[in-house]
Amino acid sequence: MNRGMKLKRHSFLSNQECQVIHDSSCRLLEEVGVAATSEKAIDLFQKKGAVYEQGRVKIPKNMVEDALEKTAKEITLHGQHSKDNIRLNPEDPLVYYGTGGQALNVLYYHDGEFEKKSAGTQDLIDILRICENLENVDFITRPVEPDVPEEKMDLEKTRIFLENTSKHVNLANLIKLDKLPEIIEAVKDKSRISFISCVLVSPMNLVSDTVEKFMDIVKEDIAVSISSCPQGGSTAPLSEVGEIIQVNAELLSAVVLANLVRPGAKVLYRGIPITSNLYADASPRWCQPESIRRIAVITDMTYFYKIPCCGTAAVSDEKEPNPQTVAEKTLSWVFESASGAQFINSAVGMLEQVLTVSPEQYIIDNQVISRIKELFSQSPDYDLAEIAQKAVHDALNMFDVNLDSQMKQDISNRIEFILSPKEEYTPEYAGSQVDTISKAIQSGRSSNKFMKASRAGLRKGWLYKGMRLEGQMNLDEVLRIKKQILGWDR
Amino acid sequence: MEDILEKIKKNIIEGRMNSEDEGFNGEMAGEPGVMELVQKALDQNISPSEILDKCLNPGMEEVGRRYEEGEYLTPDMLASAECVSEIMKILEPKLVKKEDQRKEKFILATVKDDLHDIGKNIVSTLLKGSGYEVKDLGTSVTPDEIVEEVKQSHAQFVGLSALLTTTMSNMKDVIDKLKEAGLRDKVKVFIGGAPVSKEFAQKIGADFYCEDAFDAIEKLKSA
Repeated sequence: MNRGMKLKRHSFLSNQECQVIHDSSCRLLEEVGVAATSEKAIDLFQKKGAVYEQGRVKIPKNMVEDALEKTAKEITLHGQHSKDNIRLNPEDPLVYYGTGGQALNVLYYHDGEFEKKSAGTQDLIDILRICENLENVDFITRPVEPDVPEEKMDLEKTRIFLENTSKHVNLANLIKLDKLPEIIEAVKDKSRISFISCVLVSPMNLVSDTVEKFMDIVKEDIAVSISSCPQGGSTAPLSEVGEIIQVNAELLSAVVLANLVRPGAKVLYRGIPITSNLYADASPRWCQPESIRRIAVITDMTYFYKIPCCGTAAVSDEKEPNPQTVAEKTLSWVFESASGAQFINSAVGMLEQVLTVSPEQYIIDNQVISRIKELFSQSPDYDLAEIAQKAVHDALNMFDVNLDSQMKQDISNRIEFILSPKEEYTPEYAGSQVDTISKAIQSGRSSNKFMKASRAGLRKGWLYKGMRLEGQMNLDEVLRIKKQILGWDR
Repeated sequence: MEDILEKIKKNIIEGRMNSEDEGFNGEMAGEPGVMELVQKALDQNISPSEILDKCLNPGMEEVGRRYEEGEYLTPDMLASAECVSEIMKILEPKLVKKEDQRKEKFILATVKDDLHDIGKNIVSTLLKGSGYEVKDLGTSVTPDEIVEEVKQSHAQFVGLSALLTTTMSNMKDVIDKLKEAGLRDKVKVFIGGAPVSKEFAQKIGADFYCEDAFDAIEKLKSA
C-alpha cells in the first residue's frame, strides 16, 4: 500500500483573507526587507532587482510573484522502494507524517520511571529501528545527532540512515557545506534525501552561514524545507494576523532567493508561527491551542500559492509522556492534518519543545495517529470539532486514562479556542500590524517592542489559559512493542 | 507637586513610556507617559532624588507585588522596568555621585553564531531596571570581543546566552578565553538559554545557570 492520507481539507482563511496576508507580506518585504550579511545572497538579490540598503534586502512584489510562479509545484521524495515515495502536490494533496529533530536528550523508561540522558549515536540507531517498524511514520527527519565530531557528522548521519531505514531520509540541517558532494555520492539518488533549512531568524533576518548552505542545496536540485519559527509576543507580534504576515514575508524572501539560485527550486514552505509564554519566561509554546491554530492557519497560504507545504505538529510542551502530552499532540495532529499540511514534520516522538525524544513516545504517537486516520476515513465529511474531541478521548482511552468532567471541559475549551478567530483579516488591521512589525524592527529592540505591544492582546485572552491533564497512563502495550523491536536487553 | 509625582509613579506601574504608548489595555495613547512627566517634574525644580524615592522605588515595588500575585505578566514587568531604565538615563547625571552609589557592571552577549536574543534582552531590561550598568554586546559575539569588553570595562558580571544546540559550546570558549586572559577570577559568569542546564554550567565552568530572566536577577543577589 502506498503512503499518504487523503482527506477533505479544512480552510481557516478565505481566499480574500489570504490575499490580504500576501499583500501585507509583500509590503513588509518591499518597505522593511530582510536583514542579510551573506555577500553571495545579497549580490544575487541585487542583480535580479532587489534593493540593498542599511543591511537589509528590500524585495519588490514582482520578484516575489515571479518566484512563486517559478517555484516547484510538485515534489516527489523517494524512499528506498517506490511504495515509500512521498508525493507533495497541493492540487492533489496527501498527508504524510514524520519525525522531527535535533533533540539533545532521550528518555528511557526504566523501573516505572523515565530517565533522561544525552542523546548519541546508539539512540539515533534505536529510533531509526523503531520508526522503521511503525506504519504511520512515513519519513524520518533526523531525530538526534550522532555523537561524533562535527566534521564527521554529516556523513556518519547519512551512513546510519541508509543502513537503518528504507523510508525517505530528511537529514534536516547540513552541518558542513563542503560535505554535500560526499553526501550525494553516498545516497546516489538525490530524491532519497531532503533537508530543512532554518534560514530565517525572526524578525526578518536571513542567517548568513545557513543561507549559503541553503543556496548550495537548492543548486543541487535537492528538496529543502524553508523553515521559520517566530514566537508571537517576542519575535513577532502576538497578534495572529501580524505573526502570519511576518512569517509569510520571511518565507517568501527565501522562496525568492531559492528561485534566483535555481528557477523551479524544490522548496517546501514551512511556517511555524507559535507563541511565547508571556505568562512566565517567554519560552516557546509549541502545542498550546493558539499555536496549533496558527500553524494550521499558515497552511492556507501554501494552498493560496499552490506550493508544497511542510507542516509541523505535535511538538509537546510536556517533558514526559503523560495524559497532557497525548491530548495536546492529538489536537495538533487533527488540526494540522485537516489543514492539509502535507509533509508533517516533528509529528512523532517529540517532547519538551523539541529538546527531548523518547522511544516510548514514538510508539504512543504511532498508535494515536492510527486512530486519527481511522476517524478521518470513517467520516469523510467530518465536523472538525467533533472529530477532534473524539480523537482526544479515544487517544486517552487507549492508555486507560480516566477522563473526568473537568478534563473533558478543558479539551472542549481547547478545541473551541483553536476554531475561533480572535481578529479580523481586514486590509486596515493587517496594515496596522505591518506598521507594528516595521517599528519594532527599526527600534533595534524588537523583542521588547513585541512584548510590550502584546499586553493588550494578552488581556483579550489571545494566549490560551487552561488546565493541565493529570493522571496515569498504562504503557504495557507500548513497552511490549518497544521490546519486540529493540530486543529485551534495551 | 504631589500630583505629578503620583502620575509618574502611576505610569511606571502601568509601564507607559510616552504619550504614544497605548499601555497595557491598548487604549491609553494620548496621556503623557513617564518621559514627558519626568521632564515636567524637573522643570518644576523637583529634585531627581525625590523622583527616585517617591516614584521609581515605590512604583517598582508595586509592580513586583502585582507580578508576584499573578495580576501582572512578564510583558508588564518588562514595560515598567524599561520605564525605570529610561528615567534613570535622565536622572543619573543629575544625581550627586557618591562613591558607594557606583553601579555594578554587567556584560551581556549571545554567543558566536547565534542570533537569538529574546532572553538576553529581557535580562538586560530587568538588570537596568534593578540599577545595574549593562553593556549589551548584541548577538553572535566572539569570545575575543567579550574578553576585550571585560578588560576595558572592569565588569563584575558576564551573562552568556544561546538558543541553539550548535552554539551552546561556544560558551565554553568564552570561559576558556577569560582564563587565558587571567580574568576568570575577576568576573562571575552567568549562562542561560533553552538548551543549557545546571549540569552544562558546571561542565563548562560557569558560575551560575539561570532558568529565565527572573532567575538571573535572583541568582545575582547571591553572587
